[in-house]
Order: sequence, then C-alpha cells, then structure tokens
Amino acid sequence: MESQVKEIIARALNVDSAIITDELSSGDIPEWDSVGNLAIISTIEQELGIEFPLEDLFDLTSVHSIINKVNQLSNV
Amino acid sequence: MFDAPHSRLLCDILKHAKETPDKIALVDGDQRVSYRQLVERIESAAAYLNSQGISRGDYIMLMAQKEPTFVYLYLAAHLHGIINVVVDAASPQERIEYIFDLTKPVAVFGNSSNIKSARSFDDINLDKCKAKTSALPLLKEDDVADVMFTTGTTGESKGVCLTHSNIAGSASNTNGFIGTTADDIEALALPLSHSFGLGRLRCVFMAGATLVLVSNFANLKSLFTVIENEHVTGFGMVPAAWQYIKRFSGKRIGRFADQLRYIEIGSAALPVEDKRLLMELFPHTRLCMHYGLTEASRAMFCEFHTNADNLETVGRPSSALVEVSVFDEDGNPVTDGNDGEICVRGNMVTKSYFLSQDNDDAFYGDWLRTGDWGHHDANGNFYLTGRKKELINVGGEKVSPVTIEKAIISLGVPDCACIGVPDPNGVLGEVPKAFMVKGNTPIDLDEIKRGLMRLLPPHEIPAMWEWVDSIPRTSSGKIQRLKLK
Repeated sequence: MESQVKEIIARALNVDSAIITDELSSGDIPEWDSVGNLAIISTIEQELGIEFPLEDLFDLTSVHSIINKVNQLSNV
Repeated sequence: MFDAPHSRLLCDILKHAKETPDKIALVDGDQRVSYRQLVERIESAAAYLNSQGISRGDYIMLMAQKEPTFVYLYLAAHLHGIINVVVDAASPQERIEYIFDLTKPVAVFGNSSNIKSARSFDDINLDKCKAKTSALPLLKEDDVADVMFTTGTTGESKGVCLTHSNIAGSASNTNGFIGTTADDIEALALPLSHSFGLGRLRCVFMAGATLVLVSNFANLKSLFTVIENEHVTGFGMVPAAWQYIKRFSGKRIGRFADQLRYIEIGSAALPVEDKRLLMELFPHTRLCMHYGLTEASRAMFCEFHTNADNLETVGRPSSALVEVSVFDEDGNPVTDGNDGEICVRGNMVTKSYFLSQDNDDAFYGDWLRTGDWGHHDANGNFYLTGRKKELINVGGEKVSPVTIEKAIISLGVPDCACIGVPDPNGVLGEVPKAFMVKGNTPIDLDEIKRGLMRLLPPHEIPAMWEWVDSIPRTSSGKIQRLKLK
C-alpha cells in the first residue's frame, strides 16, 4: 500500500517517484502546491476507492500522514 | 547607501533603512533580514550583476521563487536600470522558451530545468560581492523596470512593460486603500511570478512593514503556524486559495480574526456567499478585493464590510490618481449606465506592451482597454458582466457567458463554463454552449433547461450542452475558455 500511495502522489504531482520520501511535506517542492494537493487527494480517492473525511484533510500535510490515513481508512 | 531617485520603491526602502535600520523587512524560515541588511544585500546583488557584465537596459530573466536572493536580485536590477523579466519557474517549457526568445535576456537566474544556462539562486554568493561606490546611471521613473507576461484567459501571452513609476504607483494606491503600515507583518503565500504576489512584496516594503515568505497555500497547518508565531496581520489570496482553505481547514482560519487587520483578494471573481462568509469569520478585518490586470494593477477596490449592502460591485477606483470609465465600441464614453468596455488610466497603467504590435487596439488615447465588459451605477460603483472578447454574439445580441454561468450554478450545478459556438442551424451566428460539472448533484439536463427558462431570456439559454469532469482554469482560478470547444 505504501509504495502504491507514493506512486500515486508522484503521478498526481507529475514528479519523479524517487523524490517522494516519507518526510516530504506539502509546500516542500513547487509542484506540491494547493492544486497539487487537490490532485493527490482526488487521485487517491478515485484509485483506491476511499474517501478522506473532511475534518482529516487539514492534517494530511506529508507523505507519511497520507500513507497512515490511507492505511487507517483501508482497514475499516 | 545608494541613491535611486528614479524608484520610489527603492527610495522608500532606503528611508526605512535609515529611520528604522533594525526593523525586520524579510523573514524566510529562521532567517531574518532587517531593513539595513536588505539595503546592503541589494547593493551586493547590484555589484554581483555588474560583475557579470550586466548593465542598464539589459534584460535578465528571474525565475520567481520564494528565496531572499530572488528579492535582492529583483530590487538590485531596479537600482541599476536592468530590466526584470519575471517568470514562473513551473511554467511549461513552451512558455518559458517563448518569453526567452522574445526578450533575449543576458542572464537567467533561479532554478529552471528548461534553460541550461540558468544560475541557481543557491549558487550565487552575495557575501563575496562588495558594493561599488561608482556613480549609478542616470535613470528616470518612466524607464521600464519589469516585463511581466500575462496569463490571460484569451489569446497569446503578452509582455507588459511596467515602469518604476507604474509599480510604485500601484503599491502606493494599494497601501492607501488597504491601510498597510510599518506595524504590519504579512505572510506571502501567493506566487511571486504574478502581478498580485509581486505587488504584495512591493506594498510591504514601501510601507516599511515585514514580509514573511511562505512557500504556498498547500500546507495550511504550516501557514497557520506562521500566522500564529510571526503575529501576522495580513495576507493576500486568490479566490481559488480561499476555496482550498475552506475545503481543507473549514472555519479554522477564523481563530485569527482578532489579529488579521487586512486580507487582500483578487485575480478572479468571488461568489457573494463567500464574501459573506469571510465577513462573518473576520468581522473587524479589512477585506479588500481588487479588480485589476497586469497592465493596470489594482485599478479598483471593494472593501466588503463597507459595501455590505452591495457586494456585487467590483468597487471604485483605488485612489484619486486612478480613473475608470466605460467606453462603447467606437471609443466614446458611455455615460448612461449601459454596458461597455471598462477602460482605465492612472499612475499604475502600462504605457506599452513589449511587442509594439500588441499596442494596436489596446488603448483609447491614454485609456487602457481592459477587454472587460461592464457598467457603473450612479454612485460610481463598477460592475463586470464578462470579457468583451468572450461575449457571445447571438444574432447581434451580446451575451455574457458569466451571466449564463451564474444562472446555471444557481440551479445547483457545482461548476460550469459557457462559450460561444457557431449556430449549427447557421442562423444566429453564435449560440451559447454550456460545459457543466455534474459532481454529486442529482440535477438533470431537463431540470436545468426548465430552470433557466425562468432566469434568462431565450437567446441566453445554451443551445448546446456537455457534461465534463472539470472546468479548465488558470492557477489563479480564471476559466480558460479557449480550452473549451
């Protein structure tokens, strides 16, 4: 799941997947701006068939936090 | 310290450096730069540019990045009469190459994978550059300071030449309206590659206030931490950023209502319900929405609280030095309140495009033609009804796509855009076509058609319809109608 999420993030931001580390946060690279963040959220939701609760979006600020949330939602 | 009578922006920075040398001008992470240091670094950056053989009248391309070195080089160029061509590093290669080939810069600074000769800001060591004491070239306030390329919704991108007088005029008008003072601390999350963000930088420095660089709006948690820790009193945002803030943080931003003195909004339309929500969240904050374009930055302003009973207006001229008028298609003023083309003249209005051919039909005398269609009321408030070039000519009746879009959205459609397409029956010339995003709405096409019959005259009801996944928009939220067919 972790590598799949990273691959989706790289694709949504149109960047090389090598730079998608756990620590990478929104705003760290020019491509991860607000438009990029919207692309990440909607692509993950579409491709993994999950829906992020609105109240959680504020905390999804890094690759690590997104992977954790996806794991949590997938295990429900 | 230098002397730069041609640039009011530099003169004001110099004044602050003399009067309040230790006042913080710029914050970038842990780095804090006082006004005295800002002047020193501008001088060092000017020396660096000279050491590279760059001098008055040369063009340099600056990849806009939230880096102090960008700020120093940008202002240093002004000091020596070097002309900045400011571009977004993330622009498509095609656009960067177009601008590069057109302006032929002698050097490119900033990170760019598109231009091999670009010198990264990280590789420029200003500490090694000693300021020269030699006399500066004699410059005039009407010399070109910056060339900004439009991100227009219609046609090719145009280079807009802005003089030292233009950019200082815009900042002065804006500060006068918003009321930014030396006591303010502003978070800058807007991109510096656009007129809005770069304009905010100039406003802050002219006021002697503090600018805190924030990468962008993506990480709202980080932005809110900056607002809290740096005691931020103001910021600028485009409507798309506001929609993002709403979606990703709900009403959390309202907790800063007591410390935020102003928010400047601009670049695209903001729905009235969002204006009301902002007024509710920020009851004591000046909520200043501008109308402007790269060619005439901040031509008008509307402050929401003082216009609470008329939030449809884009406002009135931003200062006594700005005039706005409505012209008919023959270039005559429209005085009866009817629709016409919004035209602007004043201290911030460009006198020329980079390519002289772009000046054709761009002005009526010294009035800049904005290409926006609208009117004013008896109190001098202006209203927009659409882009002139985007107006749909239905059998001789000019129809604003914005009017149709608003009507469709009022029926519950999440997003939509309208354009003119050739009448398939060959009768009316053009007919409106609507592109709509369905989202989760249960509404169907028949319901929309029935609803519009109540809201619009028959010729304004689209003749063609298409459901789409999304409406193409620029990064600042403007609909890219040219991409719709």
